[in-house]
Amino acid sequence: MIKVDHISKDFISPKKYPGLKGAVKGLFSSEKTVKTAVDDISFTIQKGEIVGYIGSNGAGKSTTIKMMTGILTPTRGECTVAGIDPNKRRKENAQNIGVVFGQRTQLWWDLPLSESFTILKEIYNVSDDDYAERMEFLNRVLELQEFFDRPVRTLSLGQRMRADLGAALLHNPKVLYLDEPTIGLDLVVKDNIREAIKEINEKYQTTVILTTHDIGDIEELCSRIIIIDEGKKIYDGSLTELKDIYGTKREVSMEIKQPEKVKELHFARLFGVEEEDCRSEFDKENSVLCVTFDKHKIQAPQVLSAVMDVAEVTDVQIQETELAEIVREIYHHGVIER
Amino acid sequence: MRKSLKIYLPFTLNELKRQMAYKGAFYLFILISMFGAFINYYLWMAIYSSSDKTTLGGMTQNEMIVYVFMVYVTSSVVSISIANFVSDDVVKGTVAMNLIRPIDYRLSLISRAAGNMIYHFLVPSVFIWIGVEIYKVKVFGLPAVSVWNILLYLSSCVMSFLIYVLFDFCFGMIAFFTTYIFGLMMIKNALLGFLTGQLIPISFFPEVLQRAFDFLPFSSMVYTPVMIYLGKYSGKMLGFMLIRQAVWVILLYVLGSLIWKKVTKRLVVLGG
Amino acid sequence: MGIIVMNKCKRYLRLYRVLVSQFLKTIMQSKVDFLMGLFGFFFSQIIGIAFLYLVFQQIPSLQGWTLDQLIFIYGFAQIPRGIDHLFTDNIWLVAWRLVVNGDFDRYMLRPMNIFFQVIAEKLQPDAMGELLVGVILVVRSLTRGVLIVDGPHVVLFFVSIFAGALIYTSIKLFFAGLAFWIKISGPFLQVAYQMSDFAKYPTEIYARGIRFLITWVIPFAFVAYLPASFFLKAGTSAMIIGIECGIAVLFWCIAYAVFERGTHVYESAGN
Repeated sequence: MIKVDHISKDFISPKKYPGLKGAVKGLFSSEKTVKTAVDDISFTIQKGEIVGYIGSNGAGKSTTIKMMTGILTPTRGECTVAGIDPNKRRKENAQNIGVVFGQRTQLWWDLPLSESFTILKEIYNVSDDDYAERMEFLNRVLELQEFFDRPVRTLSLGQRMRADLGAALLHNPKVLYLDEPTIGLDLVVKDNIREAIKEINEKYQTTVILTTHDIGDIEELCSRIIIIDEGKKIYDGSLTELKDIYGTKREVSMEIKQPEKVKELHFARLFGVEEEDCRSEFDKENSVLCVTFDKHKIQAPQVLSAVMDVAEVTDVQIQETELAEIVREIYHHGVIER
Repeated sequence: MRKSLKIYLPFTLNELKRQMAYKGAFYLFILISMFGAFINYYLWMAIYSSSDKTTLGGMTQNEMIVYVFMVYVTSSVVSISIANFVSDDVVKGTVAMNLIRPIDYRLSLISRAAGNMIYHFLVPSVFIWIGVEIYKVKVFGLPAVSVWNILLYLSSCVMSFLIYVLFDFCFGMIAFFTTYIFGLMMIKNALLGFLTGQLIPISFFPEVLQRAFDFLPFSSMVYTPVMIYLGKYSGKMLGFMLIRQAVWVILLYVLGSLIWKKVTKRLVVLGG
Repeated sequence: MGIIVMNKCKRYLRLYRVLVSQFLKTIMQSKVDFLMGLFGFFFSQIIGIAFLYLVFQQIPSLQGWTLDQLIFIYGFAQIPRGIDHLFTDNIWLVAWRLVVNGDFDRYMLRPMNIFFQVIAEKLQPDAMGELLVGVILVVRSLTRGVLIVDGPHVVLFFVSIFAGALIYTSIKLFFAGLAFWIKISGPFLQVAYQMSDFAKYPTEIYARGIRFLITWVIPFAFVAYLPASFFLKAGTSAMIIGIECGIAVLFWCIAYAVFERGTHVYESAGN
């Protein structure tokens, strides 16, 4: 459905010098600074996939999305969306895509929401039958009727996001781009939005690409993620694989009746592993022991039985490393080694 | 006096700095503002060449050309719109904050306007003024303006500035009652351009209207200082013109205070 | 081919109606603003007439032009200006804001012509002030009998108005289009637009440089003064209207090409 082929985007700006003198100097100098926001990125996305496109602020996420939607023209490389180059045939491409930019609404601010939909129906040339069918569906998953007659400016952020999502889907686009779709929303609304995206994807086989900082979005929605950093693609694969490679840490917390006995245990030595592959720590009240270890080297039952040998355990919890942490790690260390 | 200078001088300096920061775009706006002067210049040249009289409205062609450019110099220094400031403050909702602070709102506006005035004097008025003087002496062979006349002109300008901003303050109060002050400002600017003598010397108006204008503050805003510069007034007439300006400063000051009292009362009631 | 073009036109007309009627709904809530804006533009143009009137108390004619003739030139200039102002005022926003803050994105995302979207987003009712002045002064000129009234002149009158409005739009679009390269082109647009003030009077009063500038570089002379003389002076060749149309088309093509090219170098915001 989407083919991105060695795409790059440079932003060229005249070199700026400080102060009044600098401004005059700037007028006469032709020095330029080139910033490569997206650097030689390629990927292919199949119909019906939901792909999370993640990276830190300024990594080049939005720039890539803007190139795929036809807003920006790539400096090098090209991409095709549903067989169309968005830059050469912008209008046709626009008919194929739906876009929600979290921070910016594409609705008519002063008009009732219903009017926005009437206008969009005309703009995208949606037939009456399609319109009725689509509205019925959107009303069900997004519950638009609650605020359908209110001016957009009076909607809450959550309502506006639902409205924007509905507006982007009215013409049944083949590809849906979502830029930070859940930013600033409360948990219940987030959940609603995610459910809606899932349902749309299932019902219409809509390809969805979303950028987000919310790890929950990715865990709930994306079967595949692409991570970019400083304009370069550093990971492209499934979520489970990412966790497998990077999320090797596992954590066991145990509530213990006789903590003083456990304190004498030295876990790393006990299992014969490096210090950093197995750490232990008590909480402030000295009742919960938390052991963090490499799941490829040690099994959780081993830890459990070692503790239970010396003390009584009343409660156990085993936790995988959160995706959030993985992502944070990646941002810190850069490229993933495989 | 020193204390209030300490309070209000920063307003002036900030405004001056703010203006300096615009740079590029600002020079283009100067260019635009000069269009009017140049159109008038060519228009008057054509008008004089179409007339068989050497003086029109009491002015020779050379005097008229000096008039056109000195009107530009004077009005760009004198007419600083503080109604814009007021309407900005109302839109941004910072008026209430200004009421809380222990300063006089109007004085703070006038101080800001003073910053603008100084800037406009430096860029570009003073240079055009010098240019006009050189042109006048070299090309027209007219005598250079005397130091005495320069001093009179400058003090008249200061009063013109005060008349303008005090009047504009009263006008700016409308911003409290409507959000779309743009249309009214256009009307005001058009009307002032006409009545202050910017577009055409007051002496071109029919006798009746000239009498009527004597009772309005507008001719004191631009026309009076330029005529003083041209040396058109002397003796008693000169004194009268300056006193009339001073009277307008006082009258408009009092009027502004009265309106401001009414408006703030309303603000307190409604909650600005 | 013809049918496709016609369907496209129909579709865009329909879209225009839908978009504009929505816009009108939102502004009709503020009738007072509308009236003030209208009156503001009306009034500032009327002042110009008062100026001419006062001047003509002193002289019988201005380089061969009578007051009635000058009033016609002045009023005639307002009509194309008003038409352009009414329909394409949103171009100003492109120059000042939409490109630099990234709001231009929304036009790039919809399956419609971008220029169409820009102008369909807004009507500027203030322009009625200028149109009103223009129409009143032209009607006055008719009653004073200073105009040549016959079939070709009437037809060319409307042609000239349309071409004049197109010249206005082209100049605005050209300078607004520069915003794609320099982010904010408002000041330049303002300078260019303000040049139109020169064209309210006979251009032969100006120095040669200025005359050349407003005739061939920023061709406002072709909006008002030059065609107006065709309607005023018997024996003026209709060629002048032909040249006006030629210039309108040429400038439109240049401006549109620049704008279109600009949408491809558009950098959005946030970088």
